[in-house]
Amino acid sequence: MTPPLLLTPEERQALAAEYVLGTLDAATARRVEEAAARDPVLAGEIADWEVALAPLQALAAPQAPPPALWDRIAATLDPAPTRTAPRARGWFWPAWSFGATAVAGSLAAILLMRPPAPPERLMTVLLSSQDQPAWVVEGDRGGLRLAALNPRAAPADRTLQLWALPQGATVPTSLGLIPRESGQVRVSPSQIRPEPGMLIEITLEPPGGSPTGRPTGPILFIGRLAPASGT
Amino acid sequence: MESEPALSELILLVAGGDRRALRAIYQRESTRLFGIANAVLRDRDTAADAVHDAFVKIAARAGQYDATRGVASAWLGAIVRYAALDIARTRGREIPTDDPALGDTAIAPEAIALLDAKVEGARLRACLLTLEERIRQGIILAFVHGLSHAQVAARLDEPLGTVKSWIRRGLLRLRDCLA
Repeated sequence: MTPPLLLTPEERQALAAEYVLGTLDAATARRVEEAAARDPVLAGEIADWEVALAPLQALAAPQAPPPALWDRIAATLDPAPTRTAPRARGWFWPAWSFGATAVAGSLAAILLMRPPAPPERLMTVLLSSQDQPAWVVEGDRGGLRLAALNPRAAPADRTLQLWALPQGATVPTSLGLIPRESGQVRVSPSQIRPEPGMLIEITLEPPGGSPTGRPTGPILFIGRLAPASGT
Repeated sequence: MESEPALSELILLVAGGDRRALRAIYQRESTRLFGIANAVLRDRDTAADAVHDAFVKIAARAGQYDATRGVASAWLGAIVRYAALDIARTRGREIPTDDPALGDTAIAPEAIALLDAKVEGARLRACLLTLEERIRQGIILAFVHGLSHAQVAARLDEPLGTVKSWIRRGLLRLRDCLA
């Protein structure tokens, strides 16, 4: 929808500066980000301005954040099942933990007799920035499946793109675009091998997906694959 | 006598998926970073949202940090400031506000002296001082407090177009001065 930015060198320089200064409106700032993902000269100018103006950060008075903020960040990054769905499952856990203690010994004995097998089923719940569960992702030898927990459409001129970042990797792999109607994606095992610790994220991208093969828009939802409990 | 790991080393660990390193960054930097977000948003709840979003991004993008381009604390601060600006924009920042708590303190001459702490800060301060005072104020209000062009224009009581071109010229002069 948005036309590409056609810039003279002076305009590009000024736009990079105003982007870093923060005075551009939302639509223009987004277009600059998209253009910078394709245009290394623009990206370099933005990086130079960031370095040049960075000392101004010192003019903001330091202030202690609310005490619970780290826990909220940790919960978004590593949503444990106990933390993401405590209400729905609350009744279940006390009984489970009681039983778990009882079976732990015999389970250990069984595990010792078998070579360690990779976890069969992995899952994560992707949370919105308001910590609301938004998507569920399951992974196993049959690949990866994404389903919407409640329907959420991208803005009309945008699309949602699914990514995986294996632990230790620095560049995420695209798993494709999320269809607007179904909100479901199936990724074949040839495309991705789900593993514990893998980050799954959804970003907001231009129609047709990221033009660069890397995320260019904001991360809207994120979660980390972990062995599903109970299997 | 174990010295603390440098921020840039912690960022490298975060790129490898190390959550304890991320937490160490949070413990060391969150007061400064929350201050940056709150200066833009002037609301502790939304500032907390911005720092939350920023740390999710830091976890995802730590591998993109390039230590040869700027110091680690500036990289972290930029991510927080962009997260805060994103929120400010979605909240409709374009409506000029007239927050009396804003402006005068941040643009007082002594505030700019804070820049002297490091070499780069001293250079930037010297260059900012070559600009006309109102242009300097506009640049600081925009960067530190997240004011849009329209809000800067309202605060300085000047037409929007004038302020836009002042700031643009001021930035290009800064660049020449810093080069």
